[in-house]
Amino acid sequence: MNHLTRIAAGLAPLFGLLLLWQLASASGVFPPQVLVPPSEVGATLAQLWRNGELWDHLGTSLFRLVFGFLAGAAIGLAFGTAIALSRLLEALFAPLFQAVRQVPVLAFIPMLVLLLGIEERFKIVVVAVAVFFPVALAAFDGVRGIPKSYFEVARLYRTPALPFVTRILLPAAIPPVLTGLRLGLTRGWLVLVACELLAADSGIGQMMEMGRQMFRIDVVLAGVFVSGLVGFFLDRSVKLVERRFVRWKEA
Amino acid sequence: MARLNTPVARILLGLIVPVLILFWWQAQSAQGGARALAFVPLQEVGATLVAQLASGFLLNDALATLSRAVTGLVLGGLAGTALGVAMAMSRPLDRVVGPLYHAVRQVPLLGWLPLIGLWVGNGDEAKLLIVSLAAFYPTVLNSYEGVRTVEQRYVEVARLFGFSAGQRFVHVLLPAALPLILTGVAQALAFAWIATIGTEMLFGANAGLGATMGVAQAQQRMDIILVAILAAASLGFTLHYSIASLRRHLLRWQPVIH
Repeated sequence: MNHLTRIAAGLAPLFGLLLLWQLASASGVFPPQVLVPPSEVGATLAQLWRNGELWDHLGTSLFRLVFGFLAGAAIGLAFGTAIALSRLLEALFAPLFQAVRQVPVLAFIPMLVLLLGIEERFKIVVVAVAVFFPVALAAFDGVRGIPKSYFEVARLYRTPALPFVTRILLPAAIPPVLTGLRLGLTRGWLVLVACELLAADSGIGQMMEMGRQMFRIDVVLAGVFVSGLVGFFLDRSVKLVERRFVRWKEA
Repeated sequence: MARLNTPVARILLGLIVPVLILFWWQAQSAQGGARALAFVPLQEVGATLVAQLASGFLLNDALATLSRAVTGLVLGGLAGTALGVAMAMSRPLDRVVGPLYHAVRQVPLLGWLPLIGLWVGNGDEAKLLIVSLAAFYPTVLNSYEGVRTVEQRYVEVARLFGFSAGQRFVHVLLPAALPLILTGVAQALAFAWIATIGTEMLFGANAGLGATMGVAQAQQRMDIILVAILAAASLGFTLHYSIASLRRHLLRWQPVIH
C-alpha cells in the first residue's frame, strides 16, 4: 500500500463516523442541545475563524504554551544534566525531586493560584512545571546513559569542555531527551487546557468553558476539534525531529 | 567522594535542600501581610494535618478519590485491554477503529470536560467517564503492541501441537503479551490518578482530594491545599508502588532483562 492509499484508508472511518453523526442529528432523535450536526460545528468553526475569535484564543493559548514550554524545558534540561553529571548535586536534589514528582501535576494548580494569582504568569508557570518533570527526568537518564568510556576517552584526548558537550554529550543524550520533550509538550498542553477551563479570560479552554455555560454545544465541539488538532501537530512535529535523530543513530 | 556513598550521608545530604526551603517558607510567612496568606506558617499546616486526620475529613477525601480512581482504572483498563487485544487480532477492526482511536486521543483529556458536562452533567458518572477514558488510552495502545509483537513462532508451535484458537489465546498470546499489557496498566494508573484529581477540581464533588483543593483555593486556605497535595502525592506513590509489585509478581516467570 502506498502512502496515499494508506492515508485514505485511515481517513475513511473518520468520514464514516461524521456521516453517521450527521445522519443521527438529521433524524431528529436527539434534541439539538445534545447533538448538533458536524456541518453546524463546521459552520461555527468557519465563523469563529472569520471573525478572528478563534485566532485570538488559539494565539493566546499557544503563546502560553510556547513560553511555559521553553522555560520548563530549559530549566529541566539544565537540572537533569547537572544532577546526572555531579554526584554531589544528585545527593542534594534528587530525593526532593523524586518526592515532588509524585504530586499529580494538576494538584499544583490551587497552590500556584494562591502564590501567583490567576494572571498570565500563573498559566506560564503551570505549563513550565508540567514540562519540567518529564524533561528533567529524560535529561538525567540520557546523560547517565552515556557510556563511561566516552568521558575517559575525552579526558585522554584532553577534549575542551565546549566541544565535548556539543559534539559528544548532546548527540548521545538527544534521543531520550527528545522523548522527554515530547512528553512534556503533551503534558503542558493538557495542563494548560485544564487551567484555561478553570480560570482564564481567553484561550481555547476558556472558549470551550464559555460554550458550555451558554449551552453552545457547537462552540464546545469546535474547541474539542481545535485542541485535538493542536495536540496532533505538537506531537507530530517532535516525532519528525525524533525520526531525524534516530536515523543517524541507526546508520 | 566515597563518603557521599554511605546511606547516612546520602540521607543527610538529601535533607539539606528541603530543610532550607522550609526555613525560607517560614521566613516568608513571618513577614506578615499579604504574604502570610500564601505562605502559611508550617506549624499551622501541621495543625491542619492533625485536625483533618482526627476529624476523618482527610480519610474521607482520600477514600473517595481512591475509589474513583480505582473504579475508573478497572473500567477503562478492562475496556482498553479488550479493545487493544481485539484490534491486534482482527485486521478489519484495526482498520476501522484504529484511526478513530488515534483521532480521539489527540484531544487533551480534560478538554472533554465541557462536552461531558453538557451531555452527562457534572456528577459522579461524568467524573468516572473521564477517569475511565484516561485509563483507556494507554491500555489500548500497550495491549495492542503487546499482542502484535508476540513471536509468531510461538503461535505456530501451539498450532502444530493442536491447540484450539481459544487455547492459543489463553496459553500463548496472553502470557506473551502480559508484560506490555501491565506496562499499559501502570501508565493508566498515573493518568487515571491525575484525571481524578483534575475532574474533582473542575467539577467539584461531595468528597475527594481534588474537590477539597478546589474549595480551599476559593477560600484561600493554603494549609488545606498543602495537606491535600501531601495526601495526593503519598497515595499516588503507594498506588504506583502496588501496581509495580503486582507487575513483578505476575511476571516472576520472566527472565530479568537489563
